[in-house]
Amino acid sequence: MPRNISFEDIIGWTLRVGVLISAVFIIFGIGLIYVHRGAGIYTFKDLVAANSPVNTSILPVSYINSRTVMGLNGLAYVLIGLIILMATPVVRVAIGIAQFAHERNWLYTFITAVVFINLMLAIFVIPALVVK
Amino acid sequence: MLHVPIDVFFALVVIVSIISGFLGALVGLGGGTFLVPLYTLFLGIPIAYATGASLISTIATSSGSASAYVKDRITNVRIGMGLEIATTTGSIVGSLTAAFVYAHHLEYIIYIVFGVVLLSQIYFQMERSRFELPKPIKPDWTTRVFQLHGEYYDEALKQEVKYYGVRWWLGETIMFFAGFISGLLGIGSGALKVLGMDWAMNLPMKVSTTTSNFMIGVTAATGSAIYWAFGLIQPILAGFTALGVLLGSMTASKILPKITNRSIRYIFTAILAFLGVEMVLRGVGIIH
Repeated sequence: MPRNISFEDIIGWTLRVGVLISAVFIIFGIGLIYVHRGAGIYTFKDLVAANSPVNTSILPVSYINSRTVMGLNGLAYVLIGLIILMATPVVRVAIGIAQFAHERNWLYTFITAVVFINLMLAIFVIPALVVK
Repeated sequence: MLHVPIDVFFALVVIVSIISGFLGALVGLGGGTFLVPLYTLFLGIPIAYATGASLISTIATSSGSASAYVKDRITNVRIGMGLEIATTTGSIVGSLTAAFVYAHHLEYIIYIVFGVVLLSQIYFQMERSRFELPKPIKPDWTTRVFQLHGEYYDEALKQEVKYYGVRWWLGETIMFFAGFISGLLGIGSGALKVLGMDWAMNLPMKVSTTTSNFMIGVTAATGSAIYWAFGLIQPILAGFTALGVLLGSMTASKILPKITNRSIRYIFTAILAFLGVEMVLRGVGIIH
């Protein structure tokens, strides 16, 4: 790594780019939903209404596939945007582990690894355990 | 329930999310504090979806502004990461509690707790930042073991500020509760995070607020993954809420330096009080 680029710059850059990319996907997805007056089998009203039945419990990650993406299904694009947004802090913590390891600060490498494990528990383990 | 055409509802949600982001950034509380009451009390959005959307928007605003603060080198990444052990654990417990509450139709609990949190903010709004820099306290063993020190250049004071923190364990304890509240209510709970660093660990105000903001994104990402699994996130609502709050908070950061006088703070505090009382009344069933 070149000496003039610090981990702080990489973290700041990652956060900014993550938010920008996710905003682009969300705006594009909502635009598609508005233009198509819906997405896939859902009408615009299904998707937007206050008591919408369309929530993340019925939308597996596999909803994002070549058919929905190529078919310009707006809901799939919004989901991609949301996932990128949620992944941004996860990437940031992963960079943190690398940063502390690079500094040979083993206590903080360990602490940051525990934070990363907490994130993995929340993202993969707990949903698999509690939601059938 | 609000009876308006769906396009009008769509427009109202966008406007309310921008206003919430704007107000939240001006008082330094994040969008969720205003968003959840406005969504539930005035737009008829179920509180589970309102908190889910709020939590997602919290990630957007934290990441958006943290990138600027990290560049300024005021954020203490080491102290922030150390405290995230507690905030992420608290967030897991808080989101699971929220999922349990919604599964058992105990929404009134969320209304009451949210109202009480809003009302408690009034105290912090009135009391805060009388001192820019804390009075030094004797370092303790945690100062050394957990390397609680740092320095930054203070633009306002025109000097290099060296500082160190104390009572890491007390900071961690408060951070667990901050994470719990964040997971339970879908807010960043920045005020509690600042309290943990400013009051418990004796860190300078600027370090506390920027580091708190940096931590909010990771705390919210933890909670939102669990919210996602339990179906508390309505994707379209969450999507435009995130955009609206981000837009509102970015606008606020541009005009913030121009409007920091006390009278404006009183107006915002009055809004907080009104929303807090309304949420509690809704929770106890006096208003519907």
